[in-house]
Amino acid sequence: MRKMSNLPLSGLRILDFSWIIAGPTAARHLALMGAEVIKIGSSRRPDPSARGAPFQVYNQSKEYCALNLSTSEGLDIAKELVSTSDVVIENFAAGVFERIGLDYQTLKNLRPDVIMVSSAGTGHTGPDKDYVAYGSLLQHYTGWNTISGYGDGEPIKGGLWADPWVGMELAMVTVAAINHRMQTGKGQYIDFSMAESLTASIPSSLLGYQMTNSLPVPSGNEDPINSPHGLYKCQGQDEWIAISIQNATQWESLCGTIGKKEMSLDTRLSSPEKRRNHSSEIDTVITAFTSGLSAHKAMEILQDNDIPAGPSINIAQVYEDPHTIGSGYLTPQTYPNGVTRLMPGMPWTSNLENSFHLEAAPEIGASNLRIYKELIGISSKDYETYLENQIIY
Amino acid sequence: MGLLTGLKVLEIGEHISAPYAAANFVRLGAEVVKIETARGDVSRGYGPYPNARRDKEQSALFLAHNHGKKSILLDLNTSAGQGNLKAMIPHFDLVVENQKLGFFNDRSLGFDEVNTINPSLIWVSILPFGETGPYSNYLADDLILFHMSGNAHGMIGPVEDPNLEPPIRAGGYQSHMVAGLTASTAAMIANYRRLNTGEGCRIVVSELNAMITMAISGIANTAFDHPPPTRQLSKVEGSSIGGMVSAIGGVLKCNDGYVAISPREDAQWERWLEILGNPSWSKDEKFISREGRQNNVSELWDRLTEWSSPKSKFDIAKWGQEKRIPCFPVNTIQDLLVDEHLEAREFFVEIAHTKAGNLLHPGLAYKLSNAELPKGMISAPELGQHTEEILGRYAKNE
Repeated sequence: MRKMSNLPLSGLRILDFSWIIAGPTAARHLALMGAEVIKIGSSRRPDPSARGAPFQVYNQSKEYCALNLSTSEGLDIAKELVSTSDVVIENFAAGVFERIGLDYQTLKNLRPDVIMVSSAGTGHTGPDKDYVAYGSLLQHYTGWNTISGYGDGEPIKGGLWADPWVGMELAMVTVAAINHRMQTGKGQYIDFSMAESLTASIPSSLLGYQMTNSLPVPSGNEDPINSPHGLYKCQGQDEWIAISIQNATQWESLCGTIGKKEMSLDTRLSSPEKRRNHSSEIDTVITAFTSGLSAHKAMEILQDNDIPAGPSINIAQVYEDPHTIGSGYLTPQTYPNGVTRLMPGMPWTSNLENSFHLEAAPEIGASNLRIYKELIGISSKDYETYLENQIIY
Repeated sequence: MGLLTGLKVLEIGEHISAPYAAANFVRLGAEVVKIETARGDVSRGYGPYPNARRDKEQSALFLAHNHGKKSILLDLNTSAGQGNLKAMIPHFDLVVENQKLGFFNDRSLGFDEVNTINPSLIWVSILPFGETGPYSNYLADDLILFHMSGNAHGMIGPVEDPNLEPPIRAGGYQSHMVAGLTASTAAMIANYRRLNTGEGCRIVVSELNAMITMAISGIANTAFDHPPPTRQLSKVEGSSIGGMVSAIGGVLKCNDGYVAISPREDAQWERWLEILGNPSWSKDEKFISREGRQNNVSELWDRLTEWSSPKSKFDIAKWGQEKRIPCFPVNTIQDLLVDEHLEAREFFVEIAHTKAGNLLHPGLAYKLSNAELPKGMISAPELGQHTEEILGRYAKNE
């Protein structure tokens, strides 16, 4: 069933106790790249994300076993699995995994070179380690929202990519730790703070403030360097195109393309700074051009003239965009019920024969037999007892 | 030693994506040599600068992503520069670059050529749209990638008239940051394979697809036939707006900024009301259930704002967390730099720069049990500072 022998991470076994978004997303990336990822969950406390469609991407290409960790037999089975795994990932609130009985020292006794990845909102040390966190609040706490929006407005309301960003960084540091283990033989405990991960992603704002003593002012779609640089209304409900002029050649081409060649000769508009001072005049002229076109048509015309431009689209339009499929990002995935849907892969391509391994997300318990009986050798009799007593549950 | 001590990385990058990817390796202990042209990395010209005085050695955007690297001058448009690069290739494990599509092939430095010189070399390219698909030759920057990725439509929250108020991007050039992080991940995975097999490979990261991956929940919702969230305020139903303007949670005005709260479960709401001193309005039928609170959400937020306005965001966040309610101050950059929790975790790392002075850089987002953290890092290099040293070591013929 598993066809991953030539994939970059084949041979690695990852035990994924994580739930909701960030941890499962990290394990998902590793599963797509060929690691054997065994997700552990329990019907006693189901993964909250299982209620929605996103579960179907957070858990692509994984094995999924049911295990009740609140019982001593369940804990013993978990330990059996740890001893045969390279990596253990969890993202419960700080301290929870330790209270279950799966602290790093215990794991290390079971498998000396184990890599344990623990992700929590504010990390596992420090005065605020027990703070209750959601990704949508962390983006406010970590400075992300102080650099986004409009300078005079209240903080932005939308959700950003806190959890997916953390998922990617977790995957990165997990594999870095595996590389380290290959060269030193040493395992690793990784105490990961989601909050720090987000704050670390705005380094230039942090340095800029220290240099200038003035707080960064968010400026919507505007740019401190380039002009014109913004969104222009196109034909149709909520249709907009983003245009960004980065040099004199592009400015000249834009003027010609929108039928205002004389504007490129206007010395009042000969630099980004000057154009910014006349932005409403320029925006009116650009909008006169774009407002008669669909956003995609406008992109096509502008890009054909070497002008950076692209439509501002919602996620459903992204899903249907020719490039999303044409670039190989979405590929058909057939589900056990026979329905085929386009599902995401990884955001990169390579010259390797097999780029990634895609399977539909499993239902809880789908891999019970394979993992419990075949991998760790639980007898049929014990297996039945565990099912009956809601230990494999 | 760090997780990547011994790894040798060549960065042929500028602006943000490739420099940030390489910066991740620096912080994990790798040695990074950065190739620059005489003009220098464009981010040297972007600032902001101390005292608003333009200086290519002191741009915040440059210093943020280039500390700990060595800078060498190499003009890859000349055969001498190309020769030096080829002489260096056998001595490196990984190249990360964000040059234009075709740049290396045009200079006979394509992957096939370098792979012959060093079969175990990993080459990671970052391109706006990747190199496959209909837009692969298109031009883009952060603004365009951000808007094309689907992330912008949820940023400011719903608006009165979507035809008058455009979607906006986030600050901080996030598309390039996301692409850089994604490239780091891809490189680590390829390096694992290299350590196992001795083989190199070429990876091409699509910045657009990396940003779409940040909206992967929305992709899943669409794949399973759910409509996208609306931008029109009058059409918003339930609590489906990024969780931030509804009974699920939101942002309250305070006397020193804002606080973000989310007392979404009934039990959390009851504890939240204790903080408010169980005001009489809360007993009203319409605020008893989560559904009721959602149906009367604007009145609800008016009541809460009336309470929060004269108070401090830090106090409210503390009161909330004491009662196990998800609750955080909306921190400014200044707040972050003096945050006690971040200080206790030694998150910021002070790096001395010969001209810009001592600056606090964000460190690693994690503590490692068996590898060192980045202490005493050296600052970003001056343009071409290490040319002689590096070429002397690897390209002696030149």
